[in-house]
Amino acid sequence: MTKKLNFNLIWPPVLIAALFLGTWQFIVVANDIQPYLLPAPSMIADIFTSDISLMWSAAFYTGTTAFLGLLFGTILGLTMALIAQRLVVVNKLITPLAAGLATVPIIALTPILNNMFNITSRTPRVLVTMIIVLFPMFVNVTRGLLQVQPVQLELMRSLNSKPRMTLKVLRIPNAIPFFFTGLKIAAPLAVIAALVAEYFGGPQEGLGSRIASAAANTAYGRAWAYVVASIITGLVFYLIVIALEKWTTPWTGRSRST
Amino acid sequence: MSNVPPGKEAVTVQGLWKIFNQGLANEVIALSDVSLTVASGEFISLIGPSGCGKSTLLRVVGDLTEVTRGDVKVAGVDPHEARTQQLYGIAFQQAALFDWRSVQKNVELPLELLGWNKQQRSNRAMELLEMVQLADFANHRPWELSGGMQQRVAIARSLAVDPPLLLMDEPFGALDEMTRERMQNELLRICQETQKTIIFVTHSIPEAVYLSDRVIVMSPRPGRITGVVNINLGARNGDIRETDSFYSSVIAVREALRGRPVNEADSRVGEV
Repeated sequence: MTKKLNFNLIWPPVLIAALFLGTWQFIVVANDIQPYLLPAPSMIADIFTSDISLMWSAAFYTGTTAFLGLLFGTILGLTMALIAQRLVVVNKLITPLAAGLATVPIIALTPILNNMFNITSRTPRVLVTMIIVLFPMFVNVTRGLLQVQPVQLELMRSLNSKPRMTLKVLRIPNAIPFFFTGLKIAAPLAVIAALVAEYFGGPQEGLGSRIASAAANTAYGRAWAYVVASIITGLVFYLIVIALEKWTTPWTGRSRST
Repeated sequence: MSNVPPGKEAVTVQGLWKIFNQGLANEVIALSDVSLTVASGEFISLIGPSGCGKSTLLRVVGDLTEVTRGDVKVAGVDPHEARTQQLYGIAFQQAALFDWRSVQKNVELPLELLGWNKQQRSNRAMELLEMVQLADFANHRPWELSGGMQQRVAIARSLAVDPPLLLMDEPFGALDEMTRERMQNELLRICQETQKTIIFVTHSIPEAVYLSDRVIVMSPRPGRITGVVNINLGARNGDIRETDSFYSSVIAVREALRGRPVNEADSRVGEV
């Protein structure tokens, strides 16, 4: 049953992707489009497979930045959410601040952080990623901690539960599905942030640096191959989050919540 | 207004007023001058249209909302103390089970808060699940159960610490008629086994009559008690629902709800 369901879920996107790539290939070959305008999928695939070790090391570098940013951003977001759920005043102060932080463009932020911290290190990139991750995590987890059914709160009150106990027994478990919603948004964002942060100098081994330098040398086939590697990295992050969610919260997505 | 012998009171309410948003433009008098005594082991229902304050009265007894004026005692102490000592169990219209806990762990929740150890908790929970005939579902998740089964889990949870008093706020309100009647019989059986005092909020007249020793009739704007109907049906079973004495009690409650004086003789027709 589950197998059949997965099968049905997987086919449509695969079919669409195949159609899309086929059309692309056809247009490039039929019109004899030059690689510096638009490289054919077959050419991108060739470069991707022949340079697979370079792809892997670039993805690993950027993936590590994204992971560290995701980790620290999540920890900070959770801490802020825990404070905000307890103190309404803090919630009202932090929420607009976090929203403001979320709207700061990466391209404006990165050069500044590069100057503040050691540009040859990974630190400024991790910080940028962390800031991007912070907002979706904070907002979602805060909602999860606060959006508890009133009747469940009354039950806890009838059981003489102290706020700390209610947090542990009710609010935190209630927030776990919200946590994963935040993480599903934040994980691919972290990869994008880590990648874009590489455009402003510093170590050159990441996906963003590779794409920029390949494009600067008009090696568009290679640039596209790194784009493919970036997409795969983002997808891997997303899929890991989905797997974690399935494993830890089997009750999410059940319609008959009491 | 009642003839509960001294020393046998489970709950006493004297001249209770509950006013929401007092002094503001949207002030609402939820309860005005309510007095009520519930005897130990008695099953009483609070019935009345929406806004008559029946749920508010239950919440005041359970210390889920503050008293504005008047005196309320639960097992001889004030409601706050009764709550902190877990002297009552409560069940709501929504089962309010925690999806992330198994059925057994849901029943164990009140015991966990009292610091019982794992073995004690598990033993007690299984005992209660036996009583509500759900022992086979101990390891299921709440969302795998039907509405009636979920409500039975909630009742088992409300009985976990073996409180002398049970507060029930329309616990069967969301169930279909057939399930509802089964649950009523189940509840009566549990009452007999455990000798609890029960305050039961409902807006179903047959339900109130079938379950209760006494039906307290309330009326809105402002919320107050307008009548008390004694029910004397003797031992309950499904057949009673079709007897004349059952009908006459239903009629007595209906008349009281319409604001007509209760004829004591009528409600006693079925007395055996």
